[in-house]
Formats: sequence, C-alpha cells, structure tokens
Amino acid sequence: MGYNISDMIQGFHTALMPINLLFVVIGGFLGTIVGMLPGLGPATAVAVLIPITFGMDPISALILMAAIYYGAMYGGSRSSILLNTPGDGSAIAATFDGYPMAKKGQAGQALAMSAIASLIGGLIAVVGFILLAGPLAKFALKFGPAEYFLLFLFTLSAIVSLSKGAMVKGFISMAVGLLLSTVGIDQQTGVYRFTFGISQLSDGIDFLVVIIGIYAVGEVLYNLIGIDKLSSKGKKGVGKIWITKEQWKRSLGPILRSGPIGFVIGCLPGAGGSIASMLSYTTEKQISKRPDEFGKGAIEGLAAPESSNNAASVGAMIPLLTMGIPGSGTTAVMLGALVMIGLRPGPLLFKDSPDMVWSLIDSMFIGNIFLVIINILLVGLLVKILDTPPKVLYPIILVLAFVGTYTMNYSIVDFYLLMIFGIIGLVMKLLKFPIAPLILALIVGGDMEQNFRKSLVSSNGDLGVFFHSGISITLIVLTLLSLTYPFIIQWFKKRKKSADPANESM
Amino acid sequence: MILRMLVPAFVSFIGLSWFIASVLLPKAPLGDPNGPMYYPLILSGFLFVMGVIYFIQELKVRHQEKGILKKLFAGRTPKLIIAALILSILYTLTFEKLGFLVSTIIFLGLLLFVINGFRGWKKWVTNIAVAVLFSFVLWYGFSQLLGIGLP
Repeated sequence: MGYNISDMIQGFHTALMPINLLFVVIGGFLGTIVGMLPGLGPATAVAVLIPITFGMDPISALILMAAIYYGAMYGGSRSSILLNTPGDGSAIAATFDGYPMAKKGQAGQALAMSAIASLIGGLIAVVGFILLAGPLAKFALKFGPAEYFLLFLFTLSAIVSLSKGAMVKGFISMAVGLLLSTVGIDQQTGVYRFTFGISQLSDGIDFLVVIIGIYAVGEVLYNLIGIDKLSSKGKKGVGKIWITKEQWKRSLGPILRSGPIGFVIGCLPGAGGSIASMLSYTTEKQISKRPDEFGKGAIEGLAAPESSNNAASVGAMIPLLTMGIPGSGTTAVMLGALVMIGLRPGPLLFKDSPDMVWSLIDSMFIGNIFLVIINILLVGLLVKILDTPPKVLYPIILVLAFVGTYTMNYSIVDFYLLMIFGIIGLVMKLLKFPIAPLILALIVGGDMEQNFRKSLVSSNGDLGVFFHSGISITLIVLTLLSLTYPFIIQWFKKRKKSADPANESM
Repeated sequence: MILRMLVPAFVSFIGLSWFIASVLLPKAPLGDPNGPMYYPLILSGFLFVMGVIYFIQELKVRHQEKGILKKLFAGRTPKLIIAALILSILYTLTFEKLGFLVSTIIFLGLLLFVINGFRGWKKWVTNIAVAVLFSFVLWYGFSQLLGIGLP
C-alpha cells in the first residue's frame, strides 16, 4: 500500500495531543449544535464555523474542521429524531423510525442507538479509508489535465443527475457556479475577466462568501417565511438514555451491514449520505423478519441508516483528499475550508503532507469516539438547545454569517456579496433549485478551466486529447451514464407499469 | 404567471449578457489571444440554452399556482425580509465606523425587535439581553480568545 507505519503512529501522536483533543471536543460539540438546529444542516455548520480556524496551526485547524464536519452530521440526526426535521438529506432516513421512537417515549434510546450506530459505521469506514485512500491517491497520479477535466465533469454531472425531476435547474445551478468561478484575473494570461472595475473582484469571488451567503443568509431569509408559526419544538423528557440488550441484538447486524454500504456509496462522487442511508434502510427492510415494524419505531430502521450515513461521510473524504473532488455540498464546503487552511487536496497531499493526512485520519477515529461520549452525556443539554426560539436563533445566525465573512478578507465589500448571494439562496430555495451543483461548480470551476485549457494547449487545440486514454473514455462513459440514468430508470418504471395490468387498472 | 416566467427570463438574460461580455473580453497578450474567452463563452451559451428550456417548461405550466410564492407574500413575511435586508445594509455601513461591538448590538437588537415585536416587557428584556450578551461573547471569542482582529 505504500504506507509508512511511522506516519500513522505520528498521526496518532499529533491527534492525541491535549490541544488537539480539545479541538475535537469543541469542534464536535459546536458542529453537533449547529447541525441539529432546525433548518441548518452540516454544510451551514461548517460554513459558519470556518472562521474559528483562522490563525490556528494547519493540523489543529484540520482536526477542528473535521470534528465540526462529523459533529454536524451527528447533529443532523438529533433533529431528525427529536423534531422530525432532518438537518440535511443524509439524515432523512433517521426520521422514519427515529421520530416514531421519540413519540413512543424512547427518544433517549433512539439518540443512544444513533450515536452507537454512527460510531461503528464511522469506524468501519475509517478502516476502509486507511485501506483505500493510499492506492487511490497513487492511481490519481496517473491523471493528466484531460483526465482531471473529465473527472470534474463527471462529478458535476453526477451531482446534477441527482436533482430529481429538475435536471434543467441543476444544470442552471451548475453553469452559474462555473461562470462565477471565471470572475477575476485569468491565471494563464493575466486578463481581467468580469470584474467590472471592482478591484476586490480581481482575486475572484471568494467561494466561502458564496457558501455562507447561500446556505446561512439564504436559510435565514427563507425561514422568515411563516416565522410567526414556527416555535421551538424541543422535547423536555427523552426517557432512558441507553439501549437494551434486545435492541442491541436487533441492531448489530444492520449496523455491520450498513457501514460498508455507506462507505462505498460515500466514495462515489455525487452520491453521498442521502443515497447511502436510504439504500441501507430499504435493504434492511427487505431482509428483515419484521418489515411491518419499519416506520413505526423499529430500532434497526434507525441503526442502519445512521451507521450508513456516518460511514458515507468518512467515505466522501476519500475523493476529497486524494483527488480534490468533493462529492456533495457539505464536502464542497469542507474543501473550501481545507483550501483556506492552506492545504491543496489531491494525490500529492499524501506524498507531501503525510503528517497532515494521518493526523486527520487518526483524529477521525478519536473524533468518532468523542462524539458518542458528547452525544450521550450531553443529550439533556442538546435537547434544551433545541428549545431556542427560532425568532432569536435566526438573527443570531445572520450575525454569525456577517462576522464569519468579515474575518475572511477583512473587507466590507464581501458584506454586499453576502447579501446578494443570500437573496440568490432564498430564490433558489423558493424555486427548488438544487444548491450543491452551484457550490461544487464554483469550487472546482477554476481548476476545471485550467485543466481544460492545459489539455487543449498540449494537443494544439485537438479535442481528441479528451479521448486518448482508457481513463478518459471510462470517465466519458460514466458521465453519459450518470446523465441518462434518471431517464433510463423512468423508462423502465413506465414499461413496468404498462406491462402490469393490475397497476394500470388502479 | 408573470412572476413564474420572470426567473427563467432572467436566467436567459444573464446567459446572454455573459456571452456578450465574454466576446468583449480583452485579447490575451500571451498565447492564444482568445484563450480567456472560450470557457466562459461555452458556459454562458449553455446557461442561455438552459434558461430558454426552463422558460418553455414554465410556460407549459404557467397557469398552475406556485404555493411557495403565495407564502412569500403572505402576512408580514415580505416586510420581515425587506427589513432584514435594510438592517443588513445599515450594518454594513456602520460596521467599521462604529466598531464591531456597538454596530452588532444595534443590528442584532433591531433585528430581534423587528422579528419578535416590541410589545411586553419580557420581549424587551430578551431582545436587549440577547443582543448585548451575544455580541459581547462573539467579540470576546474572536478578538480575545482567537486573536482575530475586529474593528
């Protein structure tokens, strides 16, 4: 595999330093809080908490960011179970049986199971990460500019194809993100593009401002709709905060099966936790001896997606760290955070900064364990935070968005951009435009263009450069498949329907 | 119906404008003089085409109601959104002049009053306490604990 065991040990040594352990706890706690707040998901949590890492040494900042990320993923499930309000797509499946459990007075057990399943799923995925990340990083070294361009194209098409029934909107979102990435000085020729004489735009539009604007400000503005009808829905009593032997027995199999499923799905660009958790849930329901209990508070119906979505969040770090390809909105925000810290994710990261990579991997191990402790010990406090009235919460989030933006460039101009993107975020939410393609496109857009142009320069403008290697052809086929997949599925469904007269008569 | 068609038309307009702006980009002094224009040209053309398709899609369902737009204009929602944006602009204008602490207390306080209302002493106490305490905690956390300079 090419791993140096001393790097791994050194990583543990760094991750276990008291200051870094403290950051794991702080990051996990803050991420959990923001991730579980109604209407705010992991992407928003990471985006508004990025400024905390400014001025820190890169390794500690990386550990803190990762802890915020995992904490936010945990947090998303808290609100699913307690409020029936998932923090993001990957926490939706946790509402199916988690919320019915809470309604039956088993919220404490549901929270404990969610934490345990997430821990085991996360640990399974970390092992997978250790096994896969190195070889994949080595493989990625074979990629030239043309392959990288096609890989970016595949990632974007995969994420657009997930915009169920709204692919045109997904493409618009993606195109806007890619166009925004062209603002500023052209890296190859020094030509100013689309800056309109505003000097602050010459370095381009800071994607973190866009992220905070669209996710945080857009979310706050969106939540102002009908805010008078919103109320804090935190539950006072959560019951016993531990699981029974019987519940453990029922859940162990689903947890162990769902971890690897989540990990593999998480590694795929565009797929992520939503698909992983749904797939695990339906798989468990299909093979369960008690399928009729699913949806009514079956503990395995909660354990499976929780194990799977946490494993997916670790799996998603593989394409992110080895190739610099984020697979979802949240990992795109994470990529932004890594770039802010000064890291350039890609195959060379493993070669040039093994200390960073291993500190991160080892802190994943430690972070997952800490998160269980935090989530179980602080259930009472976390539930109380959910009692914060939305009318107080949203103004606070807005202030956090402004302060976070200011600390990036110390420029007031960014405030105007923040408001513009906040309004764009509001409109996108109102009209159900997928946001992830825009964010992803904005972040990878610059590299995508550079690779596109480098390929053409190297081939003297011959487009055949995009078809010359096996990797390129595979990526083109995958791109075409991802774009046509929703239509193929639709066609099959229609065919099945028309072939089944019973369905037709209904 | 007009509202429904407005966004697709705007998307097409942005695509077209960006396309024209790409054509008008200055020539590169190095390499291919049109090098900086190709990529935005392809993308803006693509955006324009998608905008037109979106327009046609919306045209087909123009008589269907869009529930969320109704909600947007219901009750005091539009006032709240406009108030939040106006206060944000005022915050932007005063942030460096008044300093972080004062401007944030005023911004957060006013926002809380706008959203929560003014009636009842409990609301006054909550709004003022949240504005002052949260602003102070934020200022202390950023400037004192994290060493991040705030005006």
